[in-house]
Amino acid sequence: HPFVFLSCQTAFVVDEVSTIIKESVEGAIGGNAYQHSRVNQWTTNVVEQSLSQLSKLGKPFKYIVTCVIMQKNGAGLQTASSCFWDNTTDGSCTVRWENKSMYCIVSVFGLAI
Amino acid sequence: MDEFQLSEETAFVVDDITTIIKDVSICTTIGSSAYQQNRINQWTSSVVETSLSQLSKLGKPFKYIVTCIILQKNGAGLHTASSCFWDNTMDRSCMVRWENKTTYCIVCVFGLAV
Repeated sequence: HPFVFLSCQTAFVVDEVSTIIKESVEGAIGGNAYQHSRVNQWTTNVVEQSLSQLSKLGKPFKYIVTCVIMQKNGAGLQTASSCFWDNTTDGSCTVRWENKSMYCIVSVFGLAI
Repeated sequence: MDEFQLSEETAFVVDDITTIIKDVSICTTIGSSAYQQNRINQWTSSVVETSLSQLSKLGKPFKYIVTCIILQKNGAGLHTASSCFWDNTMDRSCMVRWENKTTYCIVCVFGLAV
């Protein structure tokens, strides 16, 4: 059905975005232990790689990608976000990743143009 | 002169927004309270909702995204980054870092022109 096809081409598809993020995180920090001297580079790599892959989807969206990397040492952390947008067209997704020494939390917000 | 005034009314003014976030949202929610595991869920929700409510009252032609991180002070390393694919001429962001004796609070506001 042509209407449904058009909708998939221009919609924010959470699964698709989630896969992109997971691959970006794995590629940037997979297999590494937390290192203070490298974490700056890692967060930058995660957001830049994610954004690059998202823009390649060619969908009519503005994107915001945020990444938090935290060392595992028992500290409590809580994150929240709130959006004032167009409920019918805009979407977001959050991916939580961890290994033995750190947590990585990435959020993507897609706002239709 | 008219054009300048219109620009002020429709612009994302970082100083104004920083003040709103610090004074209205964070200080009234957390203030001098000590970090408590069973309260931070409510704190983060309250900070983002209060911030968004104040921002929408500005009545400017923007979509807003507000994110909040609350972290216990115990020596853990934390790093955040963000990247945006947007309209460089009109869209803006600002970040507010706040702390008290036991807690860090980091709030990011992204404003995207409609």
